[in-house]
Amino acid sequence: MYTELHARSAFSFLEGASLPEELAAVCAEYGMTSMALLDRDGVYGAPRFYLAADKINIRAHIGAEVTSAAGWRYPLLVESREGYQNLCRLITKMKLRAPKGKGDVSGAEVAEYSRGLVCLTGGEEGPLAHALAQGGIESGKECVQQLCELFGKQNVYVELQRHFLREEEARNHAAIEIAEKLGLPLLATNGVRHAVPQRREVLDVFTCIRHHCTLATAGRLLARNSELHLKTPAEMAKLFSDLPEALANTEILSSRLQFTLKDLGYRFPKYPVPDGKPEIHFLRQRAHDGMVWRYGLNNERAQAQIGRELDLIEKLDLAGYFLIVWDIVRFCREQNILVQGRGSAANSAVCYALGITAVDPVRMDLLFERFLSEERGEWPDIDLDLPSGDQRERAIQYVYERYGKLGAAMTANVITYRGRSAAREIGKALSFNPETLSRLTSLVSAWEYKDANDTLARQFRDAGFDMQHPQIRKFFELCLQFQDLPRHLGQHSGGLVVCQDQLDSIVPLEPATMPGRVVVQWDKDDCADMKIVKVDLLGLGMMAVLEDCLQIIQKDYGEEVDLGKLPANDPVVYDTLQKADTIGMFQVESHAQMACLPRLRPECFYDIVVQVAIIRPGPIVGKMVNPFLKRRQGREAVDYLHPSLKPILERTLGVPLFQEQLLRMAMVAAGFSGGEAEELRRALGFKRSEKRMKEIEKKLRSGMDRKEISSEAQEKIILAITSFALYGFPESHAASFALIAYASAFLKCRYLAAFTAAILNNQPMGFYQPDTLVRDAQRHGLKVKPIDVTCSDWLCRLEKNGQDFCVRLGMRFVKGLRGDVALQIVSERAIRPFSSINDLKFRVPMIQKAELATLAEIGALNFIGTPKVHRRDALWQIERAARRPGPLLEKAEENEVGMENGATELGATPIFSTLASPLAAMTGEERLVADFRGAGMTVGLHPMGHHRTEMKRRNVRSAIELLNLPNGMRVRIAGGVITRQRPGTAKGFVFISLEDETGISNAIVTPQLFEKNHVVIVHQQFLLIEGQLQNQDGVISVKAETIEPLRITKAETTSHDFH
Amino acid sequence: MAFASIHVPNFPVQAVVRAEPGLRSQAVALVDGTPPILNVVAANEAATQVGIELGMAKSQAAQFHAVEIRNRSRVQEKSAHAALLDLGASISPRMEDTAPDTIILDISGLTSLFGSDENIAGQLKQRASILGLFVHVAVSSNLKVALHAARGFSGISLIPPGEEAKCLGKLSVRALLPSVEILETLERWGIRDCAALAALPVLQLSERLGQKGVRLHELARGAFVRSMVLAQPGVRFEEEMALDFAIAELEPLSFLLGRLLDQLCARLEARALAACAIRTHFDLEDSFEKDFQVLSENFPPKLAPKTYEKVLSLPVPTRNSKMLLKLLRLQLQADPPHAAILKIILSAEPARPRATQGGLFLPGSPDTEKLELTLGRLAKLVGHANVGSPELIDTHRPGDFRMVRFAPENGESKIPQKNRAATVHAPEETPLTAFRVFRPEIQAKVELQQNYPTRIYFQGMRGNIVAASGPWRTSGDWWREDTWQQDEWDVGIRFDSVRGHSERISSPRAQNGIYRIYYDSIRAAWFARGRYD
Repeated sequence: MYTELHARSAFSFLEGASLPEELAAVCAEYGMTSMALLDRDGVYGAPRFYLAADKINIRAHIGAEVTSAAGWRYPLLVESREGYQNLCRLITKMKLRAPKGKGDVSGAEVAEYSRGLVCLTGGEEGPLAHALAQGGIESGKECVQQLCELFGKQNVYVELQRHFLREEEARNHAAIEIAEKLGLPLLATNGVRHAVPQRREVLDVFTCIRHHCTLATAGRLLARNSELHLKTPAEMAKLFSDLPEALANTEILSSRLQFTLKDLGYRFPKYPVPDGKPEIHFLRQRAHDGMVWRYGLNNERAQAQIGRELDLIEKLDLAGYFLIVWDIVRFCREQNILVQGRGSAANSAVCYALGITAVDPVRMDLLFERFLSEERGEWPDIDLDLPSGDQRERAIQYVYERYGKLGAAMTANVITYRGRSAAREIGKALSFNPETLSRLTSLVSAWEYKDANDTLARQFRDAGFDMQHPQIRKFFELCLQFQDLPRHLGQHSGGLVVCQDQLDSIVPLEPATMPGRVVVQWDKDDCADMKIVKVDLLGLGMMAVLEDCLQIIQKDYGEEVDLGKLPANDPVVYDTLQKADTIGMFQVESHAQMACLPRLRPECFYDIVVQVAIIRPGPIVGKMVNPFLKRRQGREAVDYLHPSLKPILERTLGVPLFQEQLLRMAMVAAGFSGGEAEELRRALGFKRSEKRMKEIEKKLRSGMDRKEISSEAQEKIILAITSFALYGFPESHAASFALIAYASAFLKCRYLAAFTAAILNNQPMGFYQPDTLVRDAQRHGLKVKPIDVTCSDWLCRLEKNGQDFCVRLGMRFVKGLRGDVALQIVSERAIRPFSSINDLKFRVPMIQKAELATLAEIGALNFIGTPKVHRRDALWQIERAARRPGPLLEKAEENEVGMENGATELGATPIFSTLASPLAAMTGEERLVADFRGAGMTVGLHPMGHHRTEMKRRNVRSAIELLNLPNGMRVRIAGGVITRQRPGTAKGFVFISLEDETGISNAIVTPQLFEKNHVVIVHQQFLLIEGQLQNQDGVISVKAETIEPLRITKAETTSHDFH
Repeated sequence: MAFASIHVPNFPVQAVVRAEPGLRSQAVALVDGTPPILNVVAANEAATQVGIELGMAKSQAAQFHAVEIRNRSRVQEKSAHAALLDLGASISPRMEDTAPDTIILDISGLTSLFGSDENIAGQLKQRASILGLFVHVAVSSNLKVALHAARGFSGISLIPPGEEAKCLGKLSVRALLPSVEILETLERWGIRDCAALAALPVLQLSERLGQKGVRLHELARGAFVRSMVLAQPGVRFEEEMALDFAIAELEPLSFLLGRLLDQLCARLEARALAACAIRTHFDLEDSFEKDFQVLSENFPPKLAPKTYEKVLSLPVPTRNSKMLLKLLRLQLQADPPHAAILKIILSAEPARPRATQGGLFLPGSPDTEKLELTLGRLAKLVGHANVGSPELIDTHRPGDFRMVRFAPENGESKIPQKNRAATVHAPEETPLTAFRVFRPEIQAKVELQQNYPTRIYFQGMRGNIVAASGPWRTSGDWWREDTWQQDEWDVGIRFDSVRGHSERISSPRAQNGIYRIYYDSIRAAWFARGRYD
């Protein structure tokens, strides 16, 4: 028998060509019972290799090739847990001191961490080959002796590889001689870099990518033959028929390697309970306190649920985890950082009681098993939403401080080759000329949006490429082989892992690109698979808006608004939602949401939960949106896929909309346990689970067969379930988001000024440009004042306007103005007002001419001094103010400024004339252009407003007029484009939103019309669209028939495009 | 003193249209950039009217079917500029080469030759149209005024002395070519024409824009005076000819090449120079069935590029157009373009002519020019790829090499530096025995026992394989049609018989030795590669 003990996977990043799962599968196919994976400078692929191997009863040995200072690599195999920990620490040490992707280890470091590791002498890149090339057999012998000193003689194997190469065989002769002299065992390996011979092509392309060359120019950098694949025991026996002991030793060594990843030794940190009592005791106390706070003392249902959850938490020994998350939440609360749990944690009443989540799972009857299940045997997953930016960073740094730099790290995000990236790299390697390459890659970019029948081969033909052409065919084959192969390691947006002991003994750590951050070598799925607890600290722009909004309300309105105690059913909020008047509101502001809101007509909080969940690719592709809306409007009878599903689907009128529902459907219809149902969810959402999904589908069908569900109903149930694979929200997650959506809607309706200021201060975020947000606020009666250096801050703020508040735009919107300059303006202004532009320039010397010019151009300098000047006056003045007078006249200028400020220095005479400008004031159009150029918006009339008379003459309807026009009428609309969308789920239709001075009108463009008018639609900022009005259930849009550009202003307005 | 300024508006488009007169009445847009990012950089009025905008991507412009899209051509711009200089020189020897699209002539004293200033301007316009250029002409006693007026006003502008400021009043300030920064400032101020600029108080303007502002002010008033910078003749020798009908035959092509070479040589002679290389560039007719292209290094026979370029390097500089034509003909016969020719560009690399004399006591050597002709004829007979000295190629493909032009150098390896590291450890680099390669390889018949070669027949000899080492496996170029996969063996052969008709081989024993043989999996055949000496 034979065990392959030296194999690389694609996680050696461009130095291996097969995924760990493929290696394990081929290993099993060849009848081998164990195998070792040694990736370059890491254990990146180890969890996937271990899990794949474990399922097919193969023992997965772990190791790594660690780069030495001289450039060759130590092939190291892990014998024991100590060895694994040493390997992780050795790699961490090497990685953390070097730039990303680089690093090497010294002999002394290897000696320090050598216990528990077995060292091979390696193949072409190993220490022995290097020594032989440097100094012949004597040098080789010396090298092996050194390895024996480092690792102990019993832990060194002299490795032999045979790939039918002359020089390799010469090396083998030398190696055998050295092994004999030193009494070391021989070990046959194949130095595997890909699972099957065909993958050599991928390896060659990887080589080209690594060396920045093409296949035609790579020459001898490419593999000499295709022999670096996994070989069967029989093939290896034939290759090493003269050295049977080298083969036998593979089995002996394999039996020595006792460590597997099952034995990882991960422990979640203990929470330091104040009085030394057990953690569960402390947790029960906290949960009880929280229960009283949330439910009062007499809610038996909540009491029972919390009790049940706590019992399970105790049984699974998870109290520490809950306390640590509670601790993070507590820190955030103390620091006034808004925090809210999302995702499946919202299914837990304990999380609700602890204040981690804000959704009441008892009242909403949410499925606890979705969060935590005894059968799954995995850690629960709690995601926390935090305000994006500094606040979130503070929370992350708190975790680092609390658990130490080596006790906490971000999870990795493995960037894999996808359609476009793969196509680009392969095309370059195949020397495609840039034009062809660009055509091919643009073709590939569309792959993700096509249905299954739209094959790649057909797309190639449609694009004019001949699949019979050998290079195109090769390109196509390589593209398919490249899919999902790892490319490099990134950092996950918010996943943090923490560990009781040093995390670097569990998994190697690497520096992230962002300073001060470290990242583990595994992604979040791998961490979950290895049962490492992860806490996601995610940044959410709207959380920052809410936080800022509450602060503004407290400061300006003098009111305390508690998001946890908002009025539950504010009619104004629901009225606004029903009218789809939702610009700026979380999750319900998109065009698709606005088109759905008047049909769904939310009347209670649960309706918002449904609204948030329904406009997702899952329900849309699963064809669930229309049936639900029709049933909701009473136009279609409510029925159920199967009578047994009624209790589950009753709330959503027989249409499954949430992930929990599909889990419950599986439980009821197919008899799945809670854990099995959760496994189903993971299979659906997992990108590498095609096979797993099929297995579960089979299981589902047999379960439904047992329950005698008709095959027709089975198909519907399977479709409903599988469509969520494309993305659907869990109910708890939708509920958490709905809370934020409700809060944003409430604040916008009740505190429009504060909300507008807050959302403007957190741009860019959301669906609309600041200009659209401002205009929307203006239409709702809010006065928005322009930027003015005499009163604007860096951020937008509120000003009293009679009894009401108005928003004063902040200087953050001045293009090119630096923050510290604005802050200096504000601080100088606080000392005393600026008397002139000269005075401003003098007291804020760091301000540059370009900054002054932009401020002048947008009218922000008009109110400095008296009398008020116009923008061109200011522009005239800044040109002089910005020029340094030179040493001779510097003093004179100081005097001049001093005089302006009231100083009466004797003899101080103004040198420069301060005559009014000879320039004419800007016209309305010029002001508009200047506003958009300098601030990206205007608080004046919308450009369309200046042309309304002409528009009327051309029979163009304003957005507000459309409300009262009948369905089917032929109309013309016009306006500035604020969004263009071409969603993947809309079969090529394009949605355009046009804004005029009265509001927003929407147009739908067919794919044919889009193709015909592509340039105009994509590039023109103002459009005139003619077509048929569709006015159904309060949803108004125009089905475009003709589209033409409208040239009414030179102002450079912007739009938010998704195409 | 009077100056005439000649300006070619929309110069890049005019340069292209001049070479392709059929475009004159059509909407034309020029694109430029680094593929795949190509943007519209110029367009004529007809094109802008249908919606073409500067900066637009080529793919967007292509959607306007009425618009002809061409690449911006620097070469054609240079030709057009040369024509502009010719136009100037045909009128006045005192000329300023102000910009690619503008020249200024000193026309003082030309009245007796060409008539009034108006006549001169008219002649300039007429001669320009013969050269394929549409120009604006302005005449003024102030050089700068003439220059700006030609840039800003169409047709012919005659500016009487003393009326400069008035005449320039409506001219856009852009025509004064202010710096970008000043232009931005003026735009912010709403100053768009010279009259508005001239109306600004000069003292306050100088406080704001400095001396540059004062100079602009003077320019706007037509009060700035500068002297002429006389032009120097160029040093580029290039002749270009676009053909109305594609040429596929050598004879008519030779006629045109001869004409261009004569012109080139005459120009070189005038400058006392000779050509050390002639660069030939042909634009070829589209001969593809599909528009898919790859770089020529992969599939030269099937998918060649749409241009043909060759450099004829000469051992000694010459301006003998007859000999150059012969060499060019030989080069074209040996390696003809794969499609008919649409455009010819010939350029000569100038060098000083040879001025050396053969040594009296030096051994005789063939005349360099004749040697070059002979080499050219040889290349025509056997192909370029088979003349020169061999050079190893950076590949694992056994025995692969290519021929390069013979040029004795310092003997350094031509293997790219970056790839040397990969081979540094290979024992093959320092062979202990020499290896004699059979070219071409010799097909053999090999008998195997348990996958080991035991007996071999080749070149009329047969023998037993007494020792064998292998297989040594190589494969590669899997992305090409000529992929290879070979198993090599080093074998010791003891020959036992030689076929009677083989005259070269006298004794079988003399042929005994160590050979390298291989099995070619693609061709499914055995070959003898060579023998170890």
